[in-house]
Amino acid sequence: MNILRLIAMTSAVIGSLVALAVGIMTTTSVIGRAWFLSPIQGDVELTQMGIGLAISLCLPWCQYRGANILIDFFTQKFSTALQRRLDAVGALFLAAMYGLLSWRTAEGAVGVKAAFEGTMILDLPMWWAYASLAPGLALAGLIALAQAYRLFHGAAAIPEQESLTL
Amino acid sequence: MSFGAGVGIGMFVAMLLLMALRIPIAAAMFIPGAVGYILMADATVLINLLKGSAVARLTVYDLSVIPLFLLMGQFATQGGLSRELFRAAAAFVGHIRGGLAMASILSAGAFGAVCGSSVATSATITQVAYPEMKAHGYHGRLSTATLAAGGTLGILIPPSVPLVVYAILTEQNIAKLFAAALIPGLLAVLGYLVVIAVYTRIRKDFASKSEPLPWSKRFRFLGGVWPIMTIFVLVFGGIYGGIFSPTEGAGIGAILTFLAGFAKRELTLAKMRLALVGTAETSAMVFMIFLGADMMNTTLALTELPAYVASWVTGLDVSPVLIVTSVLLLYIALGCVMDELSMLLLTIPVIFPAIMGLDLYGLPADHKAIWFGILVLMTVGIGLIAPPIGLNVYVVNNLAPDVPMIETYKGVFPFLIWDGLRVILLLIFPGISLMLVRMMN
Repeated sequence: MNILRLIAMTSAVIGSLVALAVGIMTTTSVIGRAWFLSPIQGDVELTQMGIGLAISLCLPWCQYRGANILIDFFTQKFSTALQRRLDAVGALFLAAMYGLLSWRTAEGAVGVKAAFEGTMILDLPMWWAYASLAPGLALAGLIALAQAYRLFHGAAAIPEQESLTL
Repeated sequence: MSFGAGVGIGMFVAMLLLMALRIPIAAAMFIPGAVGYILMADATVLINLLKGSAVARLTVYDLSVIPLFLLMGQFATQGGLSRELFRAAAAFVGHIRGGLAMASILSAGAFGAVCGSSVATSATITQVAYPEMKAHGYHGRLSTATLAAGGTLGILIPPSVPLVVYAILTEQNIAKLFAAALIPGLLAVLGYLVVIAVYTRIRKDFASKSEPLPWSKRFRFLGGVWPIMTIFVLVFGGIYGGIFSPTEGAGIGAILTFLAGFAKRELTLAKMRLALVGTAETSAMVFMIFLGADMMNTTLALTELPAYVASWVTGLDVSPVLIVTSVLLLYIALGCVMDELSMLLLTIPVIFPAIMGLDLYGLPADHKAIWFGILVLMTVGIGLIAPPIGLNVYVVNNLAPDVPMIETYKGVFPFLIWDGLRVILLLIFPGISLMLVRMMN
């Protein structure tokens, strides 16, 4: 799990830094528009692509930390063993979702690349947007699978001392 | 009943069952949605559709405000901006009975002006205000309940993540929704202050008085508030005034909050990392729910269930306001077991068309949508503190483990009365939320 944790956290830090970079870009663009009458060309496209990449890089960490919301109200009285079984099924469901989306988005990238689609203003290749999402989704799916394996064997999704520290 | 309606209802039931069995909500919506799609169309069509679904959701310009506002909230949290807010508020009202609780509400309201999440607001203000209240002998019931209720100001006062989600789902103007939330949010603050004043008058043993500070000192503490106030005025002045888009405003806000924390020398490298991974966790969680709900809603649209519900509701022979009231009651019930975002994503696509079909005080469509959005937002706030599972109560009790949770729930009750009254007020007088919106035109 240690190596997965390291990769997921690094990916999350990079993801949030990408979001921060988008923030810097929009701020610069607004200042440019207000004072020099020249916004950054294609700022909307850059925001869209940047935030898409940022979110996909954040997904593995969200999965690692078990931050996907679930309702525990009806199963509070269940034994820990049973709860972990259910969580294992939950992790498998999530893995299926990540896996499906990652596979299809990668396929989408190939198709869009062949069609030479570009964005409106900067003519950035559209397939970049697709390709930038697939790895984050795939990694999140891998983590979900590893967690499902642990949970089916009666362990917690991540080593317990890790859930206390960040 | 048609085949489509049957599939639609079947999906809904499967989803609720999965949710009850601890399956994460994103997957509990996605998997039945995908299975339903295969039944309605076929697997090849689904496989084709999924090629674009991640891109279609993750690269939406308007949704970019969510990670940016979350980043801004995290920088404000890790940058220690909340401590100054509480200190300044306590300098002015701390000496009166219940004053530190009032200061918690005021600082939560101010913090809510740069933070769009109720959980983050509760946690941040609890960390600075709870030790103070405890040291001054405030009763645990009063202090934890105040902090849980104060946390809802994080979403009631713009920016607000649930409101952004509502705006996206209903294709409404985010800036106008933020404007509409402002007065109801300030009313919430005022009402909570009154609740504390009355509460501590009845239960004098719950809170103490202390010596007032000299005015010179009070104004010195007020100096600590200016960064957050400047950021709020710049960001929302710009958004309301149409100078920049909400996404740009959120970007500017994130940068300014970062600079404020950096200038205070609070945003060390370690705290910077916490802010970044904290943003990552919540942003990804929000977008996962979106991806799950998208699958569900695409299939629901195929089954024509939403249209069916809308025509059924508009055909009902009851007063439209009564229908809105029952929808809000449904939200309160759902809010007891579900988090706010999944609730919105799940119900708005079905319920919103029905509401729009009603004649409500003769309001034009966009005003009706905005007004209903604020009503829903306030109802969601109730779910955050009401038993059996109020998310904010969990957060506060986690940070104040010496107070039993049942005490917090008892203490929350007076605040809930004001929440309920406020919803009724807004239900009768839509102008409370629409006043500023009309001025923007």
